[in-house]
Amino acid sequence: MKKVLENFNKAFESRVRLGIMSVLAVNRSMDFISLREALEVTDGNLASHLRALEDAGFISIEKSFIDRKPNTKYTITEEGMDSFRHHIKALEDLINKQ
Amino acid sequence: MCYKVLYIIVMNQPDQHLEDIKVIKKLMEESSRFLSLSGISGIIAGLLAIAGAVAAKLIITGSSPAEDWYAVPFAGDPANNRTVFLLLADMAVVLVLSFGAAVLFSSRKARKSGRNAWTPITRRMLASLFIPLVTGGLFILLTLSRVPANVTVASTLIFYGLAVISAGKFTLGEIHWLGVLEVATGLICLMLPQWSILIWAVGFGAIHIVYGLFMHLRYKG
Repeated sequence: MKKVLENFNKAFESRVRLGIMSVLAVNRSMDFISLREALEVTDGNLASHLRALEDAGFISIEKSFIDRKPNTKYTITEEGMDSFRHHIKALEDLINKQ
Repeated sequence: MCYKVLYIIVMNQPDQHLEDIKVIKKLMEESSRFLSLSGISGIIAGLLAIAGAVAAKLIITGSSPAEDWYAVPFAGDPANNRTVFLLLADMAVVLVLSFGAAVLFSSRKARKSGRNAWTPITRRMLASLFIPLVTGGLFILLTLSRVPANVTVASTLIFYGLAVISAGKFTLGEIHWLGVLEVATGLICLMLPQWSILIWAVGFGAIHIVYGLFMHLRYKG
């Protein structure tokens, strides 16, 4: 019981965060606009969840300029990948136990 | 104690966890692959290619002896200029109409399933498709008057196959094998120069129709 819950990560409780991690897990890195298109969420909503995931160390942020326009690229960190994988495993275990 | 409370909360939301897994799976697929590729457009491309091959055969038999039925005249001979021009126009029409059908039916399929057809993945898929395809087109035009005609015909199949393999990384998995089949057909075309047009009709026609039918039945659209 304890083991399942250790892997059940509180940081992924929100659907949007789960979504961000899912998209970055297969694409490695993506810019803000592509993420917004994939997840169909508002700017503010996405930004706050991205910040939370960055604070947790699950994604890294790289800011640059493309044609003088600011471009922010989000990349999943190794720690983020591991936590996400464990979280999915925990979800599957919970479902299989029903 | 704390764990016990959390355990009760977590265990009492089975539907939510199942839903979470579904959302994860859907987002992983949709953000990494173009899922709206239409099978019908494959069938149409195949039919157009067969019509194009019949037209090519008529163009050739109109200008050279009947025993050369399936072989294409050599473009280096100025006497063949008109025939070669007509054959290239024929191929271009087939290509443009097939691509148009793919765009039309795929966006229709996307609309029906409530997906957005124009995403970053669509753009990456098209870039991977067009880089080998445009390279092939230029290669064919630049070597046209210097290589045997069946090499040109084989090149269309080989470069198209490579373009499909490259784009296949961003769309439904089976597309990869369509590309492999097209490349193989192109290589066979190199070995059997006297059957160029027939092999071209098999590669772009029959294989597309079979694939389109398979994809249509498997992915419903």
